[in-house]
Amino acid sequence: MNPATHVLLIEDNPGDADLVRLRLVESNPTIDVSCANRLAEGIVSLKEKTPALVLLDLNLPDSHGAETFRKVLEKAPDVPVVILSGQDDEALAIKALHQGAQDYLVKGGLTSGALDRAMRYAIERQALLRSLEISRKQQLEFKNQFLSHVSHELRTPLTCIHQYVTILLDGLAGDVTPEQRDHLSTVLRSVNQLGAMVRDLLEAARAESGKITLELGCVSIEELIRSAIAMLQPLASQKGVGLEAGVEGGISFVHGDPDRILEVVINLIDNAIKFTPADGAVTVRASRVTTDPDFVCVSVSDTGCGITVEARSLIFERLYQDPNSVDDSRKGLGLGLFIAKELVSLHGGRIWAASDGASGSTFSFTLPLYSLPKLLLPVITYEGRLREAFVLVRFDLRPKSRPARGNWKEVCKHARELLERCVYLDKDLVLPPMRTAGPEQTFFVVASTDLERSPIMISRIRGQMDKLPDLKACGSFELSSVAVPSSDLPAEISLQEKVEEVARRVTEIARAGVGIPINTQEE
Amino acid sequence: MQSKQMDPNQERNPTMPTQKILIVDDDPDLRQALRLRLRANQYDTVSAVDGYSAISQAYKERPDLIILDLGLPAGDGFVVLDRLRRDDKLSAIPVVVLTARDPQNNEQRVLESGATAFFQKPADNHELLEVIRHSLSQCGGKGLPS
Repeated sequence: MNPATHVLLIEDNPGDADLVRLRLVESNPTIDVSCANRLAEGIVSLKEKTPALVLLDLNLPDSHGAETFRKVLEKAPDVPVVILSGQDDEALAIKALHQGAQDYLVKGGLTSGALDRAMRYAIERQALLRSLEISRKQQLEFKNQFLSHVSHELRTPLTCIHQYVTILLDGLAGDVTPEQRDHLSTVLRSVNQLGAMVRDLLEAARAESGKITLELGCVSIEELIRSAIAMLQPLASQKGVGLEAGVEGGISFVHGDPDRILEVVINLIDNAIKFTPADGAVTVRASRVTTDPDFVCVSVSDTGCGITVEARSLIFERLYQDPNSVDDSRKGLGLGLFIAKELVSLHGGRIWAASDGASGSTFSFTLPLYSLPKLLLPVITYEGRLREAFVLVRFDLRPKSRPARGNWKEVCKHARELLERCVYLDKDLVLPPMRTAGPEQTFFVVASTDLERSPIMISRIRGQMDKLPDLKACGSFELSSVAVPSSDLPAEISLQEKVEEVARRVTEIARAGVGIPINTQEE
Repeated sequence: MQSKQMDPNQERNPTMPTQKILIVDDDPDLRQALRLRLRANQYDTVSAVDGYSAISQAYKERPDLIILDLGLPAGDGFVVLDRLRRDDKLSAIPVVVLTARDPQNNEQRVLESGATAFFQKPADNHELLEVIRHSLSQCGGKGLPS
């Protein structure tokens, strides 16, 4: 072993620690051993100097069992760990092996030879794992670049076909007979399908390499389902399939990226229509999850051919296509449900399929509810108490002219980033943006400062605005602030109740101002 | 020319004076398709095949709007955007980017570089025409009293 090898020994029993140290020095007199008798101490040592290996006792005064290993792994994922186990807790050590520990040694029968060998192998294996991980990442990156290139190259001829077909269809090159129009529409449909596939390819690759980012906001799930249905109604009618929504009353807003959730809902409805015969029906529902009140469940049911049990477990895998599906339209790439699964899990929800044999199937996914009290808690409390005062700063953004959708989205994103720059971490909070019908966007900042001092926040925002002339050019802005009362709350109610009450007041103030609903969890 | 076909996607008021659009794309088929579409909407068109000729055409023709591809020979779309923005005579011309490139990696950069809008190919004709019409009405093209 390398003479400069530095080993960190985390062991609380002084007798065991001495013994292990002795065996280590026997195997290599120049070995450099640091000892820690608590996990906290071990973690400090890990940060100060990265060891070649950690010898870890799982049961320490400040941490027990598999949790101990998990914490070490979290702090130093690249350092190999060998578990030191007693005779009675070997099962625990084996559990740690499953979680990524390199080896385990039973303290009773420890020899310097065995220790030396275990350490060598552990270090080698860890190095191998690390290089595999690096090459896996490189391959993913290469695949992404490749797909990005391919998608670009495919889009160019695709655009050409699209352009000329629409030129013909729009009669710009002369009159078109009904039969020709029919054929051209088929071409256009196929071109659009091809375009969607190219997009899915890129999206799937991105999901796989963790490159999808969410822009979280407060989203009305009902509004979202209605717009998805409006978009797909023509397709359903064309096929003679009924399509309707059933949203449970009082469903709160969810915390998510509206565009991404819409993508998932559209994908599920589109699939349902595809697999439902004429005269069938597709129903989209949203309801609270009874077992977990922090989540909403959205489900899409159809009266189609159903899914086999085997298919149900595979259907969310990449490129999977049900071999038994009797479908007259052409299939896609088998990426839609994989992308949907990735998007849902990025939101912290889960997705699954259920089927009653041949009487149709139901695809469901969950999304976290938007909870104002939960968001407010760390901001408006301090050392277990409510902060004395805070204000709600309102930032209205109105476009100077009617902008293209993507551009305005970009402007709103910049506005939000600007606000994020103005707040102090843990002390202020930019509330997630709320969907409004028009292009106007209102942002709210909960600032933990009193009303007299709120001009400081406002001037900070103005100061940042001056650095962004482009943003200023796009829209007009208005800033105002109002104090949120909290000193009148009865002393006997719990902190949680106080926070909920404040959340209710914030909601009320915001509502009174612009008529935008910000739901608290209690609604 | 009297029998020229009208585009059902048409957004413009046909009584307005003709406005000129510069199409910058290295694909001749696509240039031709855009030309047909824009002419059917009563726009005059001129074209350029690369970054270099885009700037020289912009100088010579003084278009009211530019449709710009990103992947171009002799100076890509970003170079063109940069040149346009730094030139007092050309910086007011609205630029609509129409590219096969991915919006995730390009849209923000394009808008920050001074473009008015970003479209990924293939773009919806109706939306594209709507943005063109809107950009022209904002900037008050040559044909309009300034």
